[in-house]
Amino acid sequence: MTERTASAPKGGKGLTIGIGVCAVLAVIGVALWVVQLTGGMVQTAMRNLDSWGLYITMFMFFVGLSAGGLIISSVPKAFGIKGFGGVSKVAVMSSIAATVAAIGFVVVDLGQPLRVWELFAYSNLGSPLMWDIIVLATYLVLSCAYLWAQVQAERGKVSATALRVISVVALVCAILVHSVTAWIFGLQQSHEMWHTALLAPWFVSSALVCGTGLVLLVAIGLRRAGYLALEQAYLVKLAKLLGAFLVVDLYFFGCDLLTEAFPAAGGLAVVDMLVSGPLAPFFWGEVVLSVAAAVVCFVPSLRTSPLLALAGVAAILAILCKRVQLLVGGFQIPNIEWPAVMTPSTVTNWQGNLEQAYAGMVYWPAPIEWGVALGVVALAVLIFLLGLKFLPLKPADGE
Amino acid sequence: MTRYGFVIDSKSCISCHSCAVACKVENNLPDTIWWNRILTDGGPNMDTPAGTYPNLTIRNIPMACQHCDNPACVKVCPVGATYKDPETGVVRQDYDKCIGCRMCMSACPYTGVRSFNWEEPQYAIGQPMGSLDIPQHQKQVVEKCTMCWHRLAQGEKPACIDPCPARIRFWGDFDDPSSEVSQLIREREYQHLLPEQGTKPSVYYLV
Repeated sequence: MTERTASAPKGGKGLTIGIGVCAVLAVIGVALWVVQLTGGMVQTAMRNLDSWGLYITMFMFFVGLSAGGLIISSVPKAFGIKGFGGVSKVAVMSSIAATVAAIGFVVVDLGQPLRVWELFAYSNLGSPLMWDIIVLATYLVLSCAYLWAQVQAERGKVSATALRVISVVALVCAILVHSVTAWIFGLQQSHEMWHTALLAPWFVSSALVCGTGLVLLVAIGLRRAGYLALEQAYLVKLAKLLGAFLVVDLYFFGCDLLTEAFPAAGGLAVVDMLVSGPLAPFFWGEVVLSVAAAVVCFVPSLRTSPLLALAGVAAILAILCKRVQLLVGGFQIPNIEWPAVMTPSTVTNWQGNLEQAYAGMVYWPAPIEWGVALGVVALAVLIFLLGLKFLPLKPADGE
Repeated sequence: MTRYGFVIDSKSCISCHSCAVACKVENNLPDTIWWNRILTDGGPNMDTPAGTYPNLTIRNIPMACQHCDNPACVKVCPVGATYKDPETGVVRQDYDKCIGCRMCMSACPYTGVRSFNWEEPQYAIGQPMGSLDIPQHQKQVVEKCTMCWHRLAQGEKPACIDPCPARIRFWGDFDDPSSEVSQLIREREYQHLLPEQGTKPSVYYLV
């Protein structure tokens, strides 16, 4: 997405084309969403036994992506340490765009989106989904306020202390938003794979991995496009941080696999499914991409800009693989697998018996889901590019 | 207090699916929806045994919403569209309130008892069947066994009880010690489905 801004010092032709393309894709996405609602969600691949799919996968993924920008930007300010050069505001802009995508993915997943007002009228405050809606909305507002405060601070209209307070609040909210998203899954006793206290800290670490990867990628891209100047030392600092997050994330992964597998009881099925079962491509994809990205981050001679950009991409894709494992994996192992009547509503692959439905991945998205998802992603990129074009996101002098 | 629920002598279930069909007709269930299903603990297909002739085994387990005392679905619904009726213990579903997020389907440990209308409800004979008192089925909301709420309101048993030719389905109030269901679980051994989930189901399977 950043390539399009090439040779655009003040948002030239490339940026305008990028905005146009994203706008068209977003409109197509909305049109497909209307088709999905009028013709029925039967057009998606989701069914009763695999009742969430690509949309909720992407929801988890984009909540994670939104982390990096805000945390990279707010941690140095909150703790009064040296930051990452001029990427601060661009990083927060990426957070805002990713948060919009996350909210968008929840909305397109709803069967009755016109009833969302009920969330505020009949709120069940005991529901983790309700917590997430509250925290996500707060997070979006805070991110915008934080970006505004940074711009105002540069103009001398907001004091450094005020900015520091906002950054602390934003940081706490960022940690909370990942934890609460994890709790949507982790508090469900009915899915052994999800039901672990590790899930919330693990979501935070995964969010840091893909969020930092995104900031690294955006920073390199914008520097190349001439949008901002950034010393290589800042990129190296980001890369080291990314490496550390990757290792923590892999460590959590190892802890979880060992805890699942060791009793050689029910959890073994989860490990088998990941390591050698239907989700193996995504499991090994995550492991290989994470290790490769970490190697680039840790070996000084490999920290060239193109390789660092690749490491950023690898980190983002690794976490996408993780999200697919979590979502599809959660439905891949039913609590009750005794066969019963099969109808087109039962499960994605309903024509055979249950054993056959679970033989491969129980769920794989239908074409319309790809289209709608592309539209939501395009909306997020559109917001980011509009920010680049119209907001004063370039580093202030002396940063 | 009242706590309505079922006792099912599943050892004697002959898997005739009469209760499932009675449920489907009474509640005018859309074409692809079955609130009450007969599961087969045996071979890979419905109504097939495990093993090789003559050493075959099969067990039939009629399963619908377990109307849990500690329901996982109720806790997670963001708008309270699925809720436990405090008077009767029935776990109810309000179609008009449901936003279609499917959080309850994911939270319920009893695989497949909750259904989503993935399209505009369609009916095999082109017109509604069954009771006139049931709420209209809606596109893209979650539904499940209501314990025939409309029949309970008229002092009748759920529709799945009487059609059972093997007479293995019982319904009543577990809080009333003199009820048939209370006597049955006093006198006979029973199991719950997935007791380790801690949901405290109101469906008791005699063993």
